[in-house]
Amino acid sequence: MRPILPVVVVCALAIGGGLFAYRHFAPQGGDGAGKPLPTGIQMSDLDGHPHTLDEYRGKLLLINFWATWCGPCLHEIPQLAKLQTEFGARGLQIIGPAVDDPDAVRGMLATLAINYPVLVTKAPEEMIKTMDQLGNSVGGLPFSVLVGADGKIIKRQIGEFSAAELKELVESQLPK
Amino acid sequence: MRHPPKTFLVLATAISAGLCLRAVGAASAATLWPQKTSAIDDLLPVDQAFALVSAERKGEVIEVSWSIAPGYYLYRNRLGFAAEPVTAAHAFGPAKLPAATSIHDERGDSEIYRGNLVAVLPLRDAAGSLKRLRVRYQGCADAGVCYPPQDKLIDIASGTARNSNP
Repeated sequence: MRPILPVVVVCALAIGGGLFAYRHFAPQGGDGAGKPLPTGIQMSDLDGHPHTLDEYRGKLLLINFWATWCGPCLHEIPQLAKLQTEFGARGLQIIGPAVDDPDAVRGMLATLAINYPVLVTKAPEEMIKTMDQLGNSVGGLPFSVLVGADGKIIKRQIGEFSAAELKELVESQLPK
Repeated sequence: MRHPPKTFLVLATAISAGLCLRAVGAASAATLWPQKTSAIDDLLPVDQAFALVSAERKGEVIEVSWSIAPGYYLYRNRLGFAAEPVTAAHAFGPAKLPAATSIHDERGDSEIYRGNLVAVLPLRDAAGSLKRLRVRYQGCADAGVCYPPQDKLIDIASGTARNSNP
């Protein structure tokens, strides 16, 4: 009878090697799905009070980065406000970090009728670094990251969502 | 002829299986369940979308050139030029810009440039101390994505651009 231990060791190494190869070379989705939202990301509201994205854990969080100089962002904001109204009670929380000078944001806010928190950093460059941390290395806007109640990223996208696409996506992630 | 050790063969098979799983995963994602392509993978980095090519002194003017990639555009009213060092602040007059294309978007009426853009800065007497230019610009992609305002220092003599964004 042949000794079984060497066979077991070889099989274990083989399975381990196979799993390593799969995990190491596995494709990463461009939408970042499944990755945890990095912790400790800090921003401020327009009154200067600090906030972290961790505060919104437990809700379906849509982070929509925007700027006053970004036409597509301004086009998208009304549909986001509508979604916040429609699905806020069911657990959707939208936030709008602005890649902009806080004074420019204050100046435009009255005309935009945003019904969700708008957050800023002292300098736009800090917000660009945060976007990079979330997978947006080119800095393009609008940039949205949908995060589940468990803190894991469901989808991220540069560019506008269509209204129907976003509504369907949000609804599919909320409790019935 | 020597055969490779059995252990090596088993390991190689397992690793190959892992790579095959990866290939199958990628192929299925690409073909069986087609999804909207993420713009994250498609967008050009800002320096390729709006390449600040050079700032060349030509007689009594400085010509600042961009090469704008197809599908991208710069806003005319977001172009800005400043002298470096600032002691040479009056080194040149207002920039002369070519005719632009009018568009209307959420920002209202705007004028934009595509392709190659050359801005001409007329030099004044104090231009002797002017070594570099600070150039600001901002643009978007037709895909519906806009890039943050850029702020670059460019050497006039060499035309080598350096990013002054932090």
